[in-house]
Amino acid sequence: MTETLHYRLPWQSSAVYPGAHPGQMIGAGHLFKRHEPLIASPDPRRIDLRASVLDPFSSYRVRVYQQQSTVNVYLIADMSASMGYADKQQTLIRFLLTAANSAFDYGDKFGFIGCTERIEHRWLLPAGQHLGRVSALATQLERLSFSGSANGLQNAVAFLPAERSLVFLLSDCHFPLSQLRAVLGSLQDHDVIPLVLWTQDEYAALPNWGLISFQDMESHATRTLFMRPAFRQKISTAYQQRQRDLKHIFRAFGSEPLFITEGYNTQIINRHLQQRVA
Amino acid sequence: MNWAVNSPWALTGLLLALLPLFNSGMRTSPAPWTALIPGDTLSAFVVCCLRLCAVAAIAGLVLGMAGLHRTEQSRERIGHGAHIVLLLDRSSSMDNTFAGRAPNGVDDGKDAGGTPPRMGKVEQRMERLPRAMHGAIAEESKATAARRLLTDFVKQRQTDLIGVAEYSTSPLFVMPLTENKNAVQAAIAATATPALGFTHVSKGLGMAISFFEQQPVTGSRIVLLVSDGAAAIDHDSEQKLREWFKQQQVRLYWIFLRTAGSPGIFDQPEDSRDDNAGAMPELYLHKFFLGLGSPYQAYEAESPDALKQAIADINKLENLPMHYFERIPKQDLSAVCYGVAAFLLLVLFGVKFFEVKR
Repeated sequence: MTETLHYRLPWQSSAVYPGAHPGQMIGAGHLFKRHEPLIASPDPRRIDLRASVLDPFSSYRVRVYQQQSTVNVYLIADMSASMGYADKQQTLIRFLLTAANSAFDYGDKFGFIGCTERIEHRWLLPAGQHLGRVSALATQLERLSFSGSANGLQNAVAFLPAERSLVFLLSDCHFPLSQLRAVLGSLQDHDVIPLVLWTQDEYAALPNWGLISFQDMESHATRTLFMRPAFRQKISTAYQQRQRDLKHIFRAFGSEPLFITEGYNTQIINRHLQQRVA
Repeated sequence: MNWAVNSPWALTGLLLALLPLFNSGMRTSPAPWTALIPGDTLSAFVVCCLRLCAVAAIAGLVLGMAGLHRTEQSRERIGHGAHIVLLLDRSSSMDNTFAGRAPNGVDDGKDAGGTPPRMGKVEQRMERLPRAMHGAIAEESKATAARRLLTDFVKQRQTDLIGVAEYSTSPLFVMPLTENKNAVQAAIAATATPALGFTHVSKGLGMAISFFEQQPVTGSRIVLLVSDGAAAIDHDSEQKLREWFKQQQVRLYWIFLRTAGSPGIFDQPEDSRDDNAGAMPELYLHKFFLGLGSPYQAYEAESPDALKQAIADINKLENLPMHYFERIPKQDLSAVCYGVAAFLLLVLFGVKFFEVKR
């Protein structure tokens, strides 16, 4: 696994442990943060003479630097039946391993919250730095056939730490928009990076003519369609409209979504991650 | 519209016709979220049509197996015409010609000697002309002539109810009164088989009259007796016939096919000793008919042409309005059911090729 996600934070992590991301702690960093009295940070090597002279109380001022801190990285995954469509499940597992590896490379902790109908303990991975546990989870996930809805997403926040974390939300968003609003509302304390997983088979690879019978993977309801070019265009338009609606909602909650429609690729995600910091 | 089935228990199979309502019979493709697909009326309509097709196909097959049919019905009709019973003489003398000889086939050139073959055709055409008067060369028998002319007669009387009875030694029931002309034609054609022995006219008449017994009195009722001879009628039969003729209000037409040289209907006996029913049955039968009290007309035909004339007369006379019930026979509809089912299955089969598999 050589691919790494180059995630950067546009905010400061409150974690105590030194890591790779801008943090709120002061310590051995390169970025000047503020002056402090010598008594507060007793490091005579960092005494700022100019600041000490200018200090009206004539005390010694010491320069302190921002410490690079760790951040907790979480992956909240939609494990509803619709995520079993085509290669979404494989994509989920690949992303899980990539994200975990990247987090461990940065020295961050990685956690996983798998949401089906509700949140099951076997699909929970508390933030940690054990690659073995992640691999074991990936193997388990490979054997699982997804079923049910994604109602558990709304409760995912209960398994996140109180401090701000970096949360990857991997879903196909095939649930009502109101549910999505509720999920995003609950995750507002955290830095959410939504990854919307669609496959082109769903809407673009439909035939021009013919009868096709679709069975919904979640509700098992069957719909038979008489395909014709006009109707195909209508479906395509409906998906585009859906994409616009989703973007609108995500942006309303301060996060820019990434639609993965043409196959999963780490580079695409990296580009997205870099855009959001810049 | 009276529908019925042969085996009602097979109708339980109609429950199977509900199957397509629960199962579309199509291979489904998984879709992550069908709610995203916009609604489509045309699709719904097509699917509905296909389901109905499937329901109808199964129902058609089941009804076909159950043997759906329309029961016998009668339709009220009003037309101009008559109830006619053709009473044909089947005595062996009918197989002779009007000249009293055995018919000698079609133009064997007996008299023409060495006539060249192309002359034969001319003679064949000539044969249709009346020849009895000047010595027949190749004549048809009386039965054949009667058959030919009666066939034409039946063809002209499209709205009549016609029945056929025959008699020789005993009466033969051939065809009840029916509007089915093909059946009557066939019955007349069937007299082509060789004839039988004697002439028992009273029983034949009795049977002819019995044809009217179950029929409503409408239009005119005719017994058309075609014979070439007569027989004495005993006293008891005379009584009964008188009664029946009056009861059934039947008109009688007698076409007497007279053989050359034999006594006719209207001949008066030369010798008073011959003036009895045994010696001159034709005259006495005629007298009996005259005394029946019901309308009666006799025609003495000495040739096919005269016979034709007699039939044309009757054709003209008997055209009263009449009211009758046409019987429509039981109609088997299982073939229609199977046909419809096969067509629908073919449609569904075609649609199957139109199905997209993913």
